[in-house]
This record gives sequence, structure tokens and C-alpha cells, in this order.
Amino acid sequence: MPCARYLVNTMPTASWVGFKMLKKTRPLRILLAKLGMDTHTVGITVIAHALREAGMEVIFTGLKQTPDMVAAAAVQEDVDVVGISTLSAGHTRSLPKLARLLREAGAGDKLLLAGGVIPEEDRQLLEDAGVDRIFTMGSDTRDIVAYLQEWWLNKSEPTEV
Amino acid sequence: MTAEHKDQVRGCKQTSDAQNSSSTIAAEAQRWQEQTRAPFVSENPERRESFETQALKWPINPLYSPADLEALGFDYMKDLGFPGEYPYTRGTKANGHRSNFWTMTQVTGFGKGEEWAKRARYMLDQGLSGLILEHDLATTNGYDSDDPIVEGEVGRAGMALDSLEDLEKAFDLPFDKLQYLMSVCNAPQPVNLAMIIAALEKKNVDPKDFVLHIVNGILIEYICVGRYIYPPEHGLRLATDCIEYIIRHHPNWAPISIISAQLQPAKANPVQEIAFSLAIACAYIDETLKRGFDIDTVAPYFHFVVNVDMDFFEGICKLRAFRKCWARLMKERYGATNPDAMKIRMMTSPTTIALTLQQPLNNIGRLAIMATACALGGAGDNMTTPLHDEAHSLPAEEAIRVGAALQHIVAHETGVAETIDPLAGSYYVETLTKQMEDAAFAEMDKIFDMGGAVKAIEKGYFQRALGREQYERNKDVEEGRRKWVGVNHLKLAEEKREIEIFRLNDAMEEEQIAKVRELRERRDQDAVNAALAKVKAAAINGDNMVVSCLEAVKVYATHGELCHAMREVFGEYHADSQLGGF
Repeated sequence: MPCARYLVNTMPTASWVGFKMLKKTRPLRILLAKLGMDTHTVGITVIAHALREAGMEVIFTGLKQTPDMVAAAAVQEDVDVVGISTLSAGHTRSLPKLARLLREAGAGDKLLLAGGVIPEEDRQLLEDAGVDRIFTMGSDTRDIVAYLQEWWLNKSEPTEV
Repeated sequence: MTAEHKDQVRGCKQTSDAQNSSSTIAAEAQRWQEQTRAPFVSENPERRESFETQALKWPINPLYSPADLEALGFDYMKDLGFPGEYPYTRGTKANGHRSNFWTMTQVTGFGKGEEWAKRARYMLDQGLSGLILEHDLATTNGYDSDDPIVEGEVGRAGMALDSLEDLEKAFDLPFDKLQYLMSVCNAPQPVNLAMIIAALEKKNVDPKDFVLHIVNGILIEYICVGRYIYPPEHGLRLATDCIEYIIRHHPNWAPISIISAQLQPAKANPVQEIAFSLAIACAYIDETLKRGFDIDTVAPYFHFVVNVDMDFFEGICKLRAFRKCWARLMKERYGATNPDAMKIRMMTSPTTIALTLQQPLNNIGRLAIMATACALGGAGDNMTTPLHDEAHSLPAEEAIRVGAALQHIVAHETGVAETIDPLAGSYYVETLTKQMEDAAFAEMDKIFDMGGAVKAIEKGYFQRALGREQYERNKDVEEGRRKWVGVNHLKLAEEKREIEIFRLNDAMEEEQIAKVRELRERRDQDAVNAALAKVKAAAINGDNMVVSCLEAVKVYATHGELCHAMREVFGEYHADSQLGGF
């Protein structure tokens, strides 16, 4: 099985200054992944740009990831948030599996987000399985940024010296 | 009125209307601007700061006149000519759609072979004569249904295809009604082509009696779709193998499509669409010419699928400029002399990216407008329509019926197909068409200077360009520069589901997995092993891969096994910079 491939943005942008003023010791780290064989990348590219512009540290796994690969990468990269984009119909199986694998790896505290084409009827199933928030097609990136910033501010973390 | 101006007006009166010189019109337009429009606008300010086309963001003038065409050097005979004649701006067909309408098609594909056949029969009964077969992501990425990496994807985004048996079931169709089948399976194209040929043989369908159209569009997969398996140079070789096989054995089929309609949802603007698509076409053409064909033979085999977005005139002008750019490219770059080589083969489609998840019934209106734009732009040989519920799920039967009806409404009720190229001569349409043509040739030259499309892919040029467009155009919507009903305009506080949702049978994946495993138990394994060894040898030796794949699928080697055999020879492609604009 191929290893997860990373494209890491390590350059903090100007709005990182805003984060510092909000008394956080480091920017939020988020792993963005395309789960399964679905390879539509427009949504995740736009999200990646928007989150980076908001001062977050964005890591992208590359395409065609399995739940095992994403869970392993999330632990290895010690991210705060895992964001999955899916535009095929495999999400009712792959997302619950990823949530379970994260819990089994002791990483159940990571925020798990899903986006893409997810019918309303599947929302409950996914939320019950451990998906924290679903942003379907047409979501405003500013809402996603605001949601993550609020979550990050309210999250207690050990402060560094 | 100035004295000078009075002279001009008098000058006008002395000539007949037909002889009005453009410079007089330019002066008149200037006068109108100053005397009539400017005072009005100072009383009634314009409703936005600037007016621009939706994707290209080119400024739109308040008015276009013959003076604009003269400024661009527009020449009727050179720029437009007549339908069915070079440069084909007014269409490739001598009689437009007055003899025959375009072929009306729709995408379908999900589930197992027998489920696909049931849906396909339903669609043929709704008056469609052509079908597009989409495969699931397991298939298009080169895996069998029981490979753990594709768990949850089997039969979802398209039909599952593991072996010839699946296609035998899928082809339980009335081939007297089906004139045209398009199959989309790019990276594993030689395997897919071999399976279709073998399945048609089993059904005793005479391959001369209908048209198989394979997309075979691997290069765009590397740019924005992502369903690649092997590195680009091997991808191009496999695509060329399929083109060569079809030209030699099934000359009435269509071996290659450049799906500009995949670049467009990745936010290519019309100029990028034309330039990228044609530069990609050149990569396949150059490779095919090396197999011993000449341009006049090869060029007529190239097909294009072009989307139209909601900017009505960008869409219409793109289709017109596309035809002209192809004609010029074939004539000027390759020295084609056969008119068939210079006539572009084109399928048009309303785009899915104009459709909204919000208030999905509004999408029927959008689809009707875009389908009308397709028809006004010439429609091409085929038109396909996406469906209004696409953002919610795979299409429900009602959406399929409405989608099929929509094309009939455009064709029979609007009158847009009753005369040829009815918007020709519109000062705005001709200005935009010519500007697009000029900009597309400039962009193509840039790509050729980089060493062509494959080199540009390896450098990430296309990927970066599209990444920028994606981000910027999303910001246009979020920041309200582009109004989009249901998204940032006329939003509903709370939306109720308005449409019927199609659900897949969840047991289907297990059934498909059991089926392929059971097949591996009962087939002649020695024959399969020998066939797979031949496939590997052909991959190493540079032989045409369709030949060895055809032998292998007939002894029921599976799709995934064949793709793996080639993986062992070609290796796998991992694009670290897939998010090029990132």
C-alpha cells in the first residue's frame, strides 16, 4: 500500500498574527484528505486555500486514501482536525470506518469534518458514527473558517513556554 | 451638435444604409455615448461598478456596433464563411440542424451490469438514442471490486466492471434502438475497450451497426480529474494504442475524446478550455502520427465534449470559437487538406457546476437556459444534459425524464434550430468569438513553447492555473460579486426537500464481490495466467496493448488483474502536486 504523501504548507500567513493575539500557542493543524477513489479536487483545493489564508496549517494527503491511511497520517502528523472531502457515494461506509479507526488509535479527540455531496438522509448516520460536522456542497468557506476558529479557541490545550 | 458632427450626419445621408462606413458608425457611437447615454447614466447610475463576463472577467461594453468588429479586423469571409465550409465558425454541418437534430444523450451508470441494463432500457424508452456508460471509481482507477482499497465505492459512481461477464449482462439491450454508446474509462482504456469488443462479439452485434465512442482521455485525468494509474508517458502510449487499434479495426468508431467538459468544472475559463483542450489534442495527434498515419486520416477521429455555463454569450461564443480554432490548427499547424480533418466533432452539454444544491428545482430552469445556449452555439453532433438533482445524489427516474424532455423542448418548441447559426452577425457575439479565438491561440503558443501538453502537465502548469481560477471564482460567489440564486441571492431561511432521491441497493457491493470471487474459482486459471504473461510482455515490448488484453478478457482475466499486470511494467503515478494551485 502506498504511503500517504504530504504537501505541507509551513509558511504562516499574515493572519497568524491574529491567532497569536487570541492567545493560542500555535496555529490549528488540519489534515485534508480525499478518501477512497473519488478524485474531485475543486472543493478541497478551495478549502485548502481559504484555511491557509486564515492562518491555519494545512496538510494534504494526496488522492485515493484509505481510512487506514488517513487515520495513520492524522496520528503521525499530530493534527487537530481531519477534513474529508467526498463526492462519490461511498461515504456511508468509509467515514464511519475512519471515525472508528481514529478512536482505536486514541485520536478520537480530533475534530472530524466531512464535505462534498452528502445527502441529508445520511447526516444522522454519519453524526452517530462520529463525524463532528458536515459541510455540504455550497458551504461558504468563511463559515468553515469561523467554525474552526471558534472550535480552536474553545479547545483547551497544554500551553507551551 | 458640433459642426463636424453635422457634416458626418450629412455624409451618412448621402450614402445608402448598406454602404455606411464603419468609421461613420464609430463616430455615431461616440456621439450616442456622449449625447444620449452619458446624461442618462449620470441620472440613473449603473447597477454595478463594472460589467464583466462570468469566467473570463473580460469587460463588457454597454453596446457593440460594427465599429467594434472593424477595430478587431473582423472579415466576414475570413472569420465566418458559410456552414459546412472552412473555418466552420458557423457550424460543421452544411444545413445546421434543419436535416437532423443533434443526438440526445444522457449519462448513466451505477450498480451491477443487470441494474445498468434496466436503467438503460428505461432511458431508451424515454426517447434517447444514445447512452453514456460511466464506470465506478474502482474500475476507472484499475481495481477489482474485492480489492480492499475500493471498499464502499463498488457500483456507486458508475457501473462496476470486473470481468467480461458483467458487460455481457449490461448489454442485455435493444441494440436496434441504441445507435451510440460512449464509455468512460480512461486510465485502463485498453482493458475496457477489449471487454466491450468481446461483449459485442458475444451478443452478435455487428460492430459496423452502431458507434462505440471511448473517451480515452488520460491526459486530462492528470490535470484535474485524478483517475490516473500509470505515469503520463505510459498513459499517452496506452491511449495511442487504443486510437491505433480502432482506426485499423473499427474505423466507424470514435477512439478519443478531449473532454473540455472536465476542464470547465475544474474552473478553466473559455480561453483555457479551448487552448488546453487543443494542446492536449496535439499531444495525442503527434503520437498517433508516429504510428504511420497522416493528419487527414487521424484528425477526423478526434472528438470534443464542451460544457456551457450560465454566461449565455461566453458559452455560445466558446462553441463558435472552438470550431474555428480546431479548423485553423489542423490547417496551419498540421497542413491538413481534407475538410473532414478540419471539421471538429463536438458534443455539448450544460455544465453541472452551475447547478445548486439549494432549491434544486431551480436547476431545471438553469438547464433549459444552458441547453438553449448549446443549441444556439451549434449544439454539435450530440448534446447531453445533466440532471437537476445531481448535487443531491445519483439521478432519480423523474429527473431523467425531465432531463430528456428538456432537450426535446429546446429542439421542438423554441425555434432556435430552424435556421443555421442564428446569432451570427451580432456585434457582441462576433466580438467575443474573435477575442476568444485570438486569446486561445496566444495561450496555445505558450504551451507549445513549454514543449507541449505532456511537459506542461509534468511541470504542473495546468494544475496551478486551474487552482488559481478555482479559488478566485469561489471568492466571487462568497463575496457577492457573482449573484447565484439560492446560494448568495434569494436564499431560503429553511429549505424543505423538494425532490425524489434515488438510493442504491446496499447489498450490491457484497454481491459484486462474491461474483468476481466465484468467477476466479471456476475459470480456466492456466489460460488466465498465460494471457496475463502475454499482456506483460506486450507492455514491455511496446506492442499494441488492445490485442493482448482482448485475448485475456475472453478467458475471463479480470479488469483489476490486467491493470495490475501493467502496473508491474509501467509503475504507478503519484502526483505530489495534485493541488497545483495550493
